[in-house]
Amino acid sequence: MKESWSMILTYITAMVLIFVLTFHFLLQGPLAGKSFEDTLAFSYSRGNLVSFEVIFGLLLYTAILHGLNGLRVIALEWFHPEKKAWLLNLIVVALMAFFLALGSYTLIMVG
Amino acid sequence: MKKDPRYKSGLISSLNPFGYNIERWSYALHRVTGVVLIGYLMAHIFETFQLSVGTTGTAWNNTMNVLHSLGPLELVGLWIVAGSALYHGANGIRLILNEMFGKLVGKPILPVYPYSPTSLGRNQKIVIWTITGVVLVLWVWAGLYLLAGLGVVQ
Amino acid sequence: MTVLDALIEVREKRDSSLGYRHSCGMGICGSCGVTIEGVPRLACQTQVSILKTDVIRVEPLHSMSVMKDLVVDITPFMAMHKSVKPYIMRKDVDERDHSDREYRVLSEEVRRFLQFDYCIMCGLCYSACPTVALDPAYIGPQAIAQSYRYMADPRDEGWDQRIDLLDTSHGVWRCHVAGACSFVCPKDVDPAKAIQMARKEILKKRLLRRKARIGAPPVPPMVSKAVKQGVMPPPFDFGEGSVSRK
Repeated sequence: MKESWSMILTYITAMVLIFVLTFHFLLQGPLAGKSFEDTLAFSYSRGNLVSFEVIFGLLLYTAILHGLNGLRVIALEWFHPEKKAWLLNLIVVALMAFFLALGSYTLIMVG
Repeated sequence: MKKDPRYKSGLISSLNPFGYNIERWSYALHRVTGVVLIGYLMAHIFETFQLSVGTTGTAWNNTMNVLHSLGPLELVGLWIVAGSALYHGANGIRLILNEMFGKLVGKPILPVYPYSPTSLGRNQKIVIWTITGVVLVLWVWAGLYLLAGLGVVQ
Repeated sequence: MTVLDALIEVREKRDSSLGYRHSCGMGICGSCGVTIEGVPRLACQTQVSILKTDVIRVEPLHSMSVMKDLVVDITPFMAMHKSVKPYIMRKDVDERDHSDREYRVLSEEVRRFLQFDYCIMCGLCYSACPTVALDPAYIGPQAIAQSYRYMADPRDEGWDQRIDLLDTSHGVWRCHVAGACSFVCPKDVDPAKAIQMARKEILKKRLLRRKARIGAPPVPPMVSKAVKQGVMPPPFDFGEGSVSRK
């Protein structure tokens, strides 16, 4: 797969993340009308996940794809593997799969 | 890992922006904030997973207690994460304009001395400093909210 | 007084073993690239007075292996340049190399790539680049800028090949717009601009499915009115065998 496709994915996830992350900050931040400690309450946090499951799902997938792709780029530059680039990609894909699975499980169980 | 024989190469050199242009500083900060955010993201997914353990919230409350036991470090850490997210996102918008749409870099010109590269020109500088200003203002607001309980919009 | 003058002074009067490169002394050859006060510059183009320090720190170019004192090994840098095929590519190679006709380029077409043609291959951009510092396999700003120079040239038919050469894991996508290359370039080649323009070309191919253009065919050489009217003699013919012709 050409490197440009992974960068296109990075750009698209970045643009989506700006909106969904802003939404997340609005829910957990000063515009929620609560103090920070109140936003950490079990009922409030869980309630948000249930009410906005799709948005949090989108947040999970875009953040993981964007973040771990960024980590892959840093690792590629730092280690610059000549023959074992496939191993680096495999590790990153495995990490992506793990965190996406964990996050998806959370959303499904809470919902 | 084999030692790089090149003079002053490596991670520290690549992140060292002293003597260079503001865009190089923003590159270094973008990279550092990116690493902070990915570390926080992975931990945050584990933390959020506690919401799905049981229905009484015991696991979640235990996790919160562990975090609260860090004292002021918890809120300072979150403040740093908030600042990282604000800067990384805002600078990311600038990078998407540059990289994906080719904006802010100008058109090919005929160089005339004294030289002034258009890719580091007025448009780029306006956007960088606007980003810096907006991020600082929002970061201060985030700090007031997290650390002092102020700035809540009812 | 320039830093190069100071280096020459040091070698002549204080330490004759000091090693450094220089040639033209006027910012054309690109030989005297060194790191001055932490920033890569041409020694012949850096006035001592602008540095505002009594002790000037001169080091070899960063991200290159040191051969002796200020002399660095530029082989990897040159290899990256060679790897992007920095020459006009035509599908009909014979037409390019053995022709009695010429490729004509309009002025407005020249303006699209002339800035990037001013590169003197001094290596300052390569040394300044933070990605090169981290990743020795990265092709570097100079090579990408030169690749774009040929992509933008209407005579070139190697657009597809150049895109495939740049669209790799150590190619154009490892640039993060730090702009240090354009900041240090002594000829205002602005490699950062060329890199973003090269990216746009790649995205045009991948997302918009743009096809490569066909280069304009060669045309008979222009013969001036003066020659046609017999006022001036025709261009000198160097004789049979001196130029490759069909």
